[in-house]
Amino acid sequence: MNNPYLPQVAKIIDVKDEAPGERPIKTFKVVLENGNSLNHRPGQCAIIGILGIGESMISIASSPTRKDCLEFSVMRLGTVTSALHECEPGDTISLRGPYGNGFPLDDWKGKNIVTIGGGIGQAPLRPIVQSILDNRSDFGDLTVIYGARSSHDLCFKDELLALEKDGPASVHLSIDAEEPGWNKFVGFVPNNLLEIKPSPENCIAITCGPVVMIKYVIKNLLELGFTDAQIFTTMENRMKCGIGKCGRCNVGHLYICKDGPVFSYDTLKDLPEF
Amino acid sequence: MTTYTLPKDKLPEFLSALSDYEIWAPVKKGPATLFDRLDDLKDVDLDLENQPVISKKAIFPQNEPLFSYDRKGTVTETDLNAVKNTIVFGIRPCDARSFTLLDPVFEGDVPDPYYRARRSKTALLGIACNDPFVNCFCTSIGGSPFGREGLDLLFIDCGDLFTLEVITETGKEITGKASSLLSPATAESSEQIAQAATDKIKRHIDLTGLPEKLASLFEHPVWKEFASKCIGCGICTYSCPTCYCFDMQDETTLKQGRRVRIWDSCMFPEYTLHASGHNPRATRTERFRNRIYHKFKFNMDNFHSYSCVGCGRCISLCPVNIDLIDYLSRVKETE
Ligand SMILES: Cc1cc2nc3c(=O)[nH]c(=O)nc-3n(C[C@H](O)[C@H](O)[C@H](O)COP(=O)(O)OP(=O)(O)OC[C@H]3O[C@@H](n4cnc5c(N)ncnc54)[C@H](O)[C@@H]3O)c2cc1C
Ligand code: SF4
Ligand code: FES
Repeated sequence: MNNPYLPQVAKIIDVKDEAPGERPIKTFKVVLENGNSLNHRPGQCAIIGILGIGESMISIASSPTRKDCLEFSVMRLGTVTSALHECEPGDTISLRGPYGNGFPLDDWKGKNIVTIGGGIGQAPLRPIVQSILDNRSDFGDLTVIYGARSSHDLCFKDELLALEKDGPASVHLSIDAEEPGWNKFVGFVPNNLLEIKPSPENCIAITCGPVVMIKYVIKNLLELGFTDAQIFTTMENRMKCGIGKCGRCNVGHLYICKDGPVFSYDTLKDLPEF
Repeated sequence: MTTYTLPKDKLPEFLSALSDYEIWAPVKKGPATLFDRLDDLKDVDLDLENQPVISKKAIFPQNEPLFSYDRKGTVTETDLNAVKNTIVFGIRPCDARSFTLLDPVFEGDVPDPYYRARRSKTALLGIACNDPFVNCFCTSIGGSPFGREGLDLLFIDCGDLFTLEVITETGKEITGKASSLLSPATAESSEQIAQAATDKIKRHIDLTGLPEKLASLFEHPVWKEFASKCIGCGICTYSCPTCYCFDMQDETTLKQGRRVRIWDSCMFPEYTLHASGHNPRATRTERFRNRIYHKFKFNMDNFHSYSCVGCGRCISLCPVNIDLIDYLSRVKETE
């Protein structure tokens, strides 16, 4: 019988300083040592860690359409994430998954897509962007709205700037406070959203970031005329098992690890504790 | 249903006829009676009232190594084939029933191999409660002092002898191994003792409509009031036969280590604390509320049953006398 608690071994092939900010973020490229693929869907996560230290639920920041490796962008906070930040190319980590439901991308074919991210919250949105770029004709317009506290906290900056310049998508970056040399939007992400005013017509909006940001983004999306069913978000809670058994990640009767982390606002709005 | 009798003084012989099995039973340990592996057959103590530590750990151990690893990162899975055929003897009907409520959690979309290995190899031999205890309320929540749900064999204390009711094929197999000690029971039924036992239950609550009621009370100030007395010790959850929350921790020495799963409690703040410092259940009000909602609403939403068997331990053991039945009654009256 398959043992869901047993980790696989994954090798780190590249480590990138993604954002040097106050809470630094590094992006790890890894491959499974047995050469297998995880067969994940955009929006799913994996539990990665180091034997003897522990493990953490981390969004798979790369799309399944990019087959050469899996990417994880990890913010340094506590025990496990700090230990991961010490890792170098060639080191191995433990990995199990994929976990969670992922985004229903197939249902979104033919639609315009707006992603609205904040801080490390761009990590689960990145595979949506990549999947759309890799299957461009399946989708309508792609709008990427993304902000962080400062320019040092912005993830995936180079690729987003490149996409903004010549990509088949419109990109709107922002930072919370003025900085010398920053000539894009200054202010919170929900306010930038109101500036950009995406049309709800045939559109799906997906948001991920700090809880307060998510709440205001949803409020503003509703104001722009989006319906509950057109709005998706991902949720976060402390996790251990990843498979709906250890009990701790519930919101109401749902477990974020297995029933989420992706929820439509239609489902979410009725849950207690949201 | 096949029914036998066993003279009470033959109990050690009965258990020794089952020596192929690993036997767990209530055993006297100092002032308490604890469920444990039975080393000396004479130690069985069917004092059911004094059982703060529950039989749950025979199938869901309080500490359980999931796998070990060495410095090179080689992972070795705990050998589940080594789990022995086990008999849990002297379990209360409510505790036996609790396993039927744990089953859907540990099976589900992704079955838990550790739970399944023990559960599938464990027979439950219960003892009917002739004298229910002061806080028992099993009859309010679908059980009874003579309940058979989850059991393979039911022992009924009839004075000088036990009556044994065979409930499952496994129960039949077990009685087969000790057949020389058993006599067929006379037609006399246990219904009278069962009725007498049920009549002795003092605590009752009508749970009709409770999940619906809870659905409308999530933001009600009553939770703050309820939780104000709670000191967050977690005894209510550790002593609960239907609680299953766990943590996973790595225990490491210089050369090797193992990942262990350990009972946890939703009454502790660390249970839900995010690395960022944010805590969705930051105060005892949210934690207390979640415990009640999980047992009496969320579990109903997910598995169509309450996560409670009415054993009364959380009431008897709470150091500040938080009385679940009183609180649920208050919930029902709250507008
Ligand atoms: C669905 C989901 C996706 C996530 N995606 C990312 C991501 O892409 N990048 C990223 O940097 N972070 C992500 N996180 C948060 C990340 O899991 C935590 O920051 C991380 O577990 C902290 O671990 P730690 O050991 O450093 O912290 P400690 O405070 O030492 O935590 C101890 C343990 O508690 C658990 N834990 C603590 N906080 C969290 C939390 N917020 N979420 C889940 N488990 C927690 C972990 O098992 C952790 O090892 C995600 C969380 C969830 C639930
Ligand atoms: S046993 Fe009583 S005091 Fe302890 S956590 Fe439970 S309700 Fe609170
Ligand atoms: S992480 Fe264990 S139930 Fe969700």
